[in-house]
Amino acid sequence: MTTETLAHLIPEFALIGAATLIYLLGAFIPAPEGSPWRKLWVLLAVLALAKAAYFLWHPWMAAPEAGPVVADLFSEYARWLTLAVGLLLVLLAAKPGAQAATAEFQATLLMAIAGVMIVASARELVLIFLGLELVSIPTYVLLYLGGRGAGPQESAVKYFYLSILSSAVLLYGFSFLYGAAGSTDLTVLRETLARGPEEIGGAQLMALLALVLVMAGLGFRITAVPFHFYAPDVYQGTTNANAGILSVLPKIVGFVALVRIVSVAMPGLEVFGWRIALILSMLTMTLGNVLALFQDNVRRLLAYSSIAHAGYMLIGITVGFATAHGNDASNVFDGTGAMLFYLTVYAIATTGIFAALTYLGTPDRQVNDVDELAGLGRTQPLAALALAIFLFSLAGIPPLAGFWGKLTLFSAALENALGINVATGQAGAASLRNWLIALAIVGALNAATAAAYYLRLVAVMYFRPSVSVVKAQGGAGAAVAMALCALVVVGVGVYPVPLVRDSDAASRTAYALTPAARVVATEPAATHVDAGTQAVADASVVGSSVAD
Amino acid sequence: MNLLVVAIFLPLLGVAMVWVTAEWGRVAARSIALWTSLATLGFVAPLLLYPVLGQGEPVEIDAPWFANSLVDIRFSLGLDGLSYWMFGLSALLTVTAILVSWEAISERAPAFYCMLLLLESGMLGVFAARDIILFYIFFEFTLIPLFFLIGIWGSEERRYAAIKFFLFTLAGSMLTFLGLLSIVLWNYFHAEPHLLTFSIPALTESLAVHPIDPGWQLWIFLALFAGFAIKVPLFPLHTWLPLAHTQAPTAGSVILAGILLKIGTYGFLRFSIPMLPEATVACMPWILWLSVAGIIYGALVSLAQRDMKKLIAYSSVSHLGFCMLGIFAINPLGVQGGTLQMINHGLSTGGLFALIGMLYERYHTREIAAYGGMARRLPILAFFMVVFTFSSIGLPGLNGFAGEFLLLAGAFQRGYADSPAMWHGQWTTIAVLAVFGVVLGAWYMLWLVERVFFGPLREPANDAHGDHHHPVHDMCLREVLALVPLVVFMVWIGVAPNHFLRPMAGSLDDSIRAAAVSFDKRYDMHTAPATATVLLPPGEGGRRPDEGGAAVGAHAASPSPGRRGDHPLPKGEGFIARGKLARDD
Repeated sequence: MTTETLAHLIPEFALIGAATLIYLLGAFIPAPEGSPWRKLWVLLAVLALAKAAYFLWHPWMAAPEAGPVVADLFSEYARWLTLAVGLLLVLLAAKPGAQAATAEFQATLLMAIAGVMIVASARELVLIFLGLELVSIPTYVLLYLGGRGAGPQESAVKYFYLSILSSAVLLYGFSFLYGAAGSTDLTVLRETLARGPEEIGGAQLMALLALVLVMAGLGFRITAVPFHFYAPDVYQGTTNANAGILSVLPKIVGFVALVRIVSVAMPGLEVFGWRIALILSMLTMTLGNVLALFQDNVRRLLAYSSIAHAGYMLIGITVGFATAHGNDASNVFDGTGAMLFYLTVYAIATTGIFAALTYLGTPDRQVNDVDELAGLGRTQPLAALALAIFLFSLAGIPPLAGFWGKLTLFSAALENALGINVATGQAGAASLRNWLIALAIVGALNAATAAAYYLRLVAVMYFRPSVSVVKAQGGAGAAVAMALCALVVVGVGVYPVPLVRDSDAASRTAYALTPAARVVATEPAATHVDAGTQAVADASVVGSSVAD
Repeated sequence: MNLLVVAIFLPLLGVAMVWVTAEWGRVAARSIALWTSLATLGFVAPLLLYPVLGQGEPVEIDAPWFANSLVDIRFSLGLDGLSYWMFGLSALLTVTAILVSWEAISERAPAFYCMLLLLESGMLGVFAARDIILFYIFFEFTLIPLFFLIGIWGSEERRYAAIKFFLFTLAGSMLTFLGLLSIVLWNYFHAEPHLLTFSIPALTESLAVHPIDPGWQLWIFLALFAGFAIKVPLFPLHTWLPLAHTQAPTAGSVILAGILLKIGTYGFLRFSIPMLPEATVACMPWILWLSVAGIIYGALVSLAQRDMKKLIAYSSVSHLGFCMLGIFAINPLGVQGGTLQMINHGLSTGGLFALIGMLYERYHTREIAAYGGMARRLPILAFFMVVFTFSSIGLPGLNGFAGEFLLLAGAFQRGYADSPAMWHGQWTTIAVLAVFGVVLGAWYMLWLVERVFFGPLREPANDAHGDHHHPVHDMCLREVLALVPLVVFMVWIGVAPNHFLRPMAGSLDDSIRAAAVSFDKRYDMHTAPATATVLLPPGEGGRRPDEGGAAVGAHAASPSPGRRGDHPLPKGEGFIARGKLARDD
């Protein structure tokens, strides 16, 4: 571990340091409800995030060439995304329930954010696992802090045991990877596996086993069916703020780790990889959407909705796997890039929904049932408008951000279905093609199904008379978070170019595992143009070969 | 500032103004909405003068929106023969919709007019969009305001109707979206340069050179079909329509029938037929049968209705079947008739829904049996009702006749002359059944008018809302003004359809040319002289209906280039050619 490595992780250290400070101060300054001290913790947390953003923007030293961290555009994009979502989550949870201790809550949240950022930077299995646990363990605490009733406790315990189980599965997978490559470094792992089964023999089989285990372990984080089953219970049992955190942070960390470990570091296994991802994707979105149709509890409904969105993102993972090591630059829509963009859009819209729900509740009594939203269009017009924007965005209605997410994902799938050059070799190409078309069609039908329950919420808000008074005492922080999310969703919807471009450029550099970031960070557009020119060249070659 | 952009986004300014002044209540909201829609109409009218007068430059805008070396999504708007009249009709019917809602909407009026203006913006955008993404955005965007219009201001079952309408349309349009993406991607892989262009003119042009593989065409056609056929709606995908129509407020029904259904037929003409010609021909017999099934089924169900709004809703299914029949005859006569019928149906059915809304406002019931002899009580309303009915059933001299005549002539031409012998029987049967549908249409419409407006006077008790013995007024000036423009256009189209057909002809011929060629290839009709008509340069198709017979007969003769002169658009000035010019800049 060199100085550069430590310097690279300064933003994470800033967050962890601030968290520690808040823990310490919190122990000495008792802040009962209504005390102005409570605002201090939020302020400190926001400051810590700002500090981390500053360090991320102005790195101290050149990025490390080797070692456990990698500084490419992918990690940079994921870290910025985490910081942005982290800020929204801190604001969202600025006014937790009467029993929850704010200082601990905010500090623990900062820890989890730091964990996601560590995974985003990691080039090393152990560091990835460390980061994942730094997300999981604070999450248990957050769930406990969410409330002392039977429901919250049950959801905390459930999450705890299943999370431990998934970590164990993941570690088991890592051990096979270590066995296959003799190293925990992803670069070494990739080079070893790239040599092909003739040379490495049994190691290929071990890697295959590891692939399954890693996808199972990470499937828990991203709530992929059949590892999703905890989510509805846990969401329902906990607070809206916690549900917001749960539906965003583990998703980001899970998908980032999935790209890093499976798409990037496991060449030669794409044929299995994309099949597993494709089946997971179809199952996840279909089950999530169908079950969401029947829910009356808002958080349970949103849990199934977040499961379904994991399914959409797995479309991107599928395409990313299938094309990862062949011709990463030749696609207009990179599968991983589409996933990253969708992840961003999803994270903002979902955080916005939970911010709105938090805002509409009171510290003691939160919004639970769909029916409680009745008549919101008249009683809380702005909150209802924001919720409608988030819901329409999640349903993929243009001109909101979610539409562009679906556009890039479906385009990525169809492009590789219609395209002639698929990386998996000639043998598997035809089947990949048909499966990707099937995936796109299933995705489109699912998007229509999903609209049913999002519309139901909108219909309840606007078409039904109000039944109970909604107090909207969730705090100014939640209101600000809600407004910010709404602005981003509309803004990205109107002009998606920068975000699509950056996510695309980020995913294209992810495969190199080298610090490309410092070179191109100032000029991200340039990389993309390069990639684009390359792609045009490749595609014309492909086109002419087909013409022959 | 570009006139087209102003026209499309002016309603949004109106939305902002209504929103800001929401506190002032209904009167302010409806006045602002009316003036906004009139101003929009004022901006739309000069745009339509170009095709009619043939002078000046067409207004268009083309700017990169999401463009790099690989992707080219453009903010590109422009009008052509396919869209001129639908664009104008959208602006016109919005004014009608606002005027008929004047007194009818009392609850949450500012929000109502916001939705109506949003809808106007979306409709204008759909017809002006020249980029697939832009088209799709406007296409989906029209759903949201109508969803709220039905769901908030509709009748008893409004929530169910709104959700059913939205989900049906969305389910189809998601598949349409995949189909459109496939077209774009196919073009990307097979055309030089490898640019992911979403521009509709560029794609149409490029796909004429690199047609999509027939196997793929069929799948893509089916994907597009899912969305457009639900929108039309083609039998048996129509089940959402009667419900949505019955439950929608009057303004919603007017717009839905007048404009939104036409987005489906417009989509076929804009995308399916020119871009997927072989699949179009392969599916043509099926679509013709479905169209005629819709014609007959819609008419028969209309006959059985007791609710007059439902009757008109089912008659829409029947009328849109006529449009589809004409368009999928894939010959100039049929497609011109089908497109003209789209406009006719917008005018007549829009007006009929408005009239039924006025009747409902007065008596709070739509039960046919509750009325009788209303002509004595409401002579002006009865007059308008009769005029709109005549238009709807195709009385010569009014617009319905011109459209139906042309499209039936097209269908018969396809059946008798332009098809291989073994298909004559089937396709002539379709055309004959469609004529039978015209007769049924006259039956249910005239029967409705007879039952409601003639015979002994029978007034429903109008105390449903407590206003006992409140004297029922005939149509006031506002209501007359809402309908007079429609009547003017109905007569105008009926008397001089050529004014409306001529600007469309070139674009329509471009739209079906590839499909017509592919038809001849598929049915091995290379030598048939009839194809000459189809292959004429733009401008040859725009015959007056009284020349229709001559046109059918004239197929044997070789095309005479002398006729070119009477078309304002010289060859090559069509939509596609202009798109190319714009892109080459």
